Amino acid sequence: MSSEQTRMFFREAVSRAVREEMTDNPRVFVLGQDVGSFGGSYREFDGLYKLFGPERMRDTPVAEAAAMGIAAGAAASGFHPLVVITYMDFMMIGFDALINYAAKLRYKTAGRLTAPMVVKTTAGAQGQGVAHSQCIEAWLMSVPGLKVVAPSSPADAYGLMKTALRSDGPVVYIDHKRLFPTPGNVPVAEAPVPFGQAFIRREGRDVSLVTHSYMVRVALEAAQMVEAEGISCEVVDLCSLAPLDIATLSASVARTGRLLTLEEGQTTCGVGVEVAARIFERIGPKPWSRIGTLPAPVSSNPVLEAACVPNAGRVAEALRSLAGHPLTTSSFVTQEAS
Amino acid sequence: MSDPVERLRAMLMIRAFEDCLAARKDHGFQLLSSGEEAVSVGLAAALGSADQLLTGGRSIGPALARGVDPGQLMAELLGKVAGTNRGRAGRGHLSDPDRGFFGAHAVVAGNISVAAGVALARRMAGDPGIVVILFGDGASGAGPLYETLNMAALWQLPLLFVCNNNRLSVSTTREAGNATKNISDLGAAFGLWTRVVDGLDVGGVAAAASEAAGHVRLGNGPAFLECSSIRLRSHSTTARETRSRAELAALRELCPIEREIALLEGGGQLDPARTQALRDEATQKAEAALAFADASPYPDASEVLNHVE
Amino acid sequence: MIYQLSVPAAVPGVEEIRILEWQGEPGTAFASGDLIVELETHKAVVEVRAGQAGVLRTLLADAGDWLAVGLPLALFSDDADEALPDPALASDELVVEFDVT
Repeated sequence: MSSEQTRMFFREAVSRAVREEMTDNPRVFVLGQDVGSFGGSYREFDGLYKLFGPERMRDTPVAEAAAMGIAAGAAASGFHPLVVITYMDFMMIGFDALINYAAKLRYKTAGRLTAPMVVKTTAGAQGQGVAHSQCIEAWLMSVPGLKVVAPSSPADAYGLMKTALRSDGPVVYIDHKRLFPTPGNVPVAEAPVPFGQAFIRREGRDVSLVTHSYMVRVALEAAQMVEAEGISCEVVDLCSLAPLDIATLSASVARTGRLLTLEEGQTTCGVGVEVAARIFERIGPKPWSRIGTLPAPVSSNPVLEAACVPNAGRVAEALRSLAGHPLTTSSFVTQEAS
Repeated sequence: MSDPVERLRAMLMIRAFEDCLAARKDHGFQLLSSGEEAVSVGLAAALGSADQLLTGGRSIGPALARGVDPGQLMAELLGKVAGTNRGRAGRGHLSDPDRGFFGAHAVVAGNISVAAGVALARRMAGDPGIVVILFGDGASGAGPLYETLNMAALWQLPLLFVCNNNRLSVSTTREAGNATKNISDLGAAFGLWTRVVDGLDVGGVAAAASEAAGHVRLGNGPAFLECSSIRLRSHSTTARETRSRAELAALRELCPIEREIALLEGGGQLDPARTQALRDEATQKAEAALAFADASPYPDASEVLNHVE
Repeated sequence: MIYQLSVPAAVPGVEEIRILEWQGEPGTAFASGDLIVELETHKAVVEVRAGQAGVLRTLLADAGDWLAVGLPLALFSDDADEALPDPALASDELVVEFDVT
C-alpha cells in the first residue's frame, strides 16, 4: 500500500471517511442536528449535503431520544445510520435506544437482528460549561454489545470512522472539541483503522502513559517535558476503548514496568481503572497512578476549567513521581491532585 | 382477517394462551393482555404481511394476532431454545420479524422512536409496507412519544401510532397520567389523522385500524388511533392488583370476547355448540403450545456469551 | 523598508492554517485596507488586509500550503524597486487587519 500522505483538517478527515462510505454503501445515511446544508457543527460534513441530498444528510430537530431511536430502528431494518449527537453530554438523552435497544438487539434476537449504527459525538472541555464538556466514555465501555472508539488525529478520525461505518453493531465514535483546530497527515489510499488496536505514539523505557483522544497531545507534551530530566515516557494511544487492545498495553507496561493512566473523564470507575485492571490481570501488578479531571463539574469559567482538566504540568508531575517509584513494589501510587 | 368468526378464534386463542401460561407455576412473571384481545386482533386485521408491528412490553396478544407461532412464543416466554429468540428475550422483548412482528421493547415508550426508524428505513428502501407502533396509556406521558410524533409528522413517515388505553399504568390511572382529554389529541396537535375507538369492539377496532392504515399506506402521513380497552389482570403476574374484587367483576362483564360471542350468536353467525367448539379448540392449541415449549430444553449455560457483539 | 507578513494568530487554539487564496502577486501594490490573502482555519476563513500601503515582493508560501501561526507568508516593501536583502528577512512586521468569517 502506498505510504503517500495528504494534510487535512480533522473535520476533513471525518467528511472524507463519511463521503467514501456513503458512496460505497447506499445504506449509509447521516441524521442529527445541523448535519444538512449547514454541514455539521464543526463543518465535518461540508459538501456532503450537495452530494447526497436531504434524504441521506437528514437534519433533525433537537430531539436526541428520537434521533437515537430512529437510528436504531433504521439500523435494525438494514440501514447503516450515522447519528450525530452534538455534545457527548446529550447522549444521555438517547441512552434508552442506544443501550437498552441497539446494544442488546443482537443478543435478544439470538443474532436475527442487529443495529449497525454509529453515534458520532464530541466530548471534552473548551469553555462550554458543566453540561457540554463531559467525557463519559467510561460509562459506555461497560455496555456489552457496544463498541467505543476515540481518535486523537485526523488519520485515526478517518480510519476509525470508516471501520465504524462497516461494523455490524452499534459503535460510539467520540472526537474532541480541541482536536478540530489541528490538521494532520492522512494516507492518500483508503486506510480503515481496525478496532481493538492501540498505538504507541512515542517509545520510552521508564513509564507507560496510556491515554486517548485529545489527552494524547497532553501526554506527548508531558513526555517531552520530563525527557530532559532523564525520564523516558512511552505514550500509548488507546484509539479503541471497547474492545481494548490488552496485548499492546500489557507489552508496553511489561517493558517499562510502570503505568500512568490519563483521561479527561473522571477517574472513579474510569478508563484508567479498567486499563490498569486488565493489564495487571495479565502481567501482575505494577506501580500505577491515574490522572483524570478533578471530581467536580467542568465549569465554563476559564480558571475553574483549567484547574479541573488535566494538563501537561500535572501529567509531568505524576510521571516524575511514578518514575522515582521503585519497581520492586506493586502498590498504587498516590497522586495528589495539583 | 375480515371474517368475524376468525377474529373471535384469534381472540379466544390469546385468552387461552395467557390462561395456560399464567397457570404455570414456573412462568416467571408475565405481562398479560387479557381484556385487550380486541385491540390486538382488530389491529392485526388491518395489516398485511409486508407491514411490521412493534409494541411495548405487553406483547403476547399482538404477537399471536400477527401470526407468531404459539409454540415458539410459549417456548420463548418460558426461556426455551425453541423460542422465537432462542429463549433469551422472554416477555417484553420477543420478536419475529418474518411474521411482521418486528418486536417488543419493554422500556415504556422506548420502542416508539425505534418504530419511526423502521418506518424511515422502509420508505428509504422503497418498501410499500407500513409500520405500526402499539403502546399503552402508560407511555403517553413519556418524552419519546412527543419527539417521535413531531418527527414522524415532519417527515410524513408511514407510521401508525396505536395507543392501547387500558386506563392503568401499574397503579396510575389514565386521568392521573395524561392531561389530555383524549390521548389521541396528542396526534391531532401534530396534524395527524386521529380517532378514538371502543377497544372492546373487535369489529370497530378493525374498521378504524383499516381506515388509519389506509391513510398511512396512501402516503398521507402518520395516523394516531386510540383504543379504549380494559386490563383484566394485574400489571404483571407478580404485581399487586390495585382494584377491588367488585371492580374486577364489573370489568369482566365488559370482556371483549364474550361481547363478540353474544353479538355473533345474536346475529346467527354462531350457535352455542359452535362457540364451545371454538373455545375447546383454543384451549387445545394453547396446551399444544405449552407441550411444545416443555419439550424444548433451556439453552446451555455456555451460550451466555453468544451474540453479544 | 522591507516588511514581513506572518500568519496571524487570528483564531484561538489554531496552530496551523491552510492558504486559501492570494489576492496579488509579486509587484502588486496594496493600499491600506486591501485584501492580501485568505487563510483557512478548521472552521473559519481569515481575510488578511493591509494595515499600511506596500508592494508585495515575494510569496513565501503558495495557495494550498500549510503554515504554522507566526511563520512568514510574504515580504513587502514600501517601494517597488527597493532591494531585497539576501537572505530576504525583514525585521518589521507588515501592519495588517483581519476579519474572521
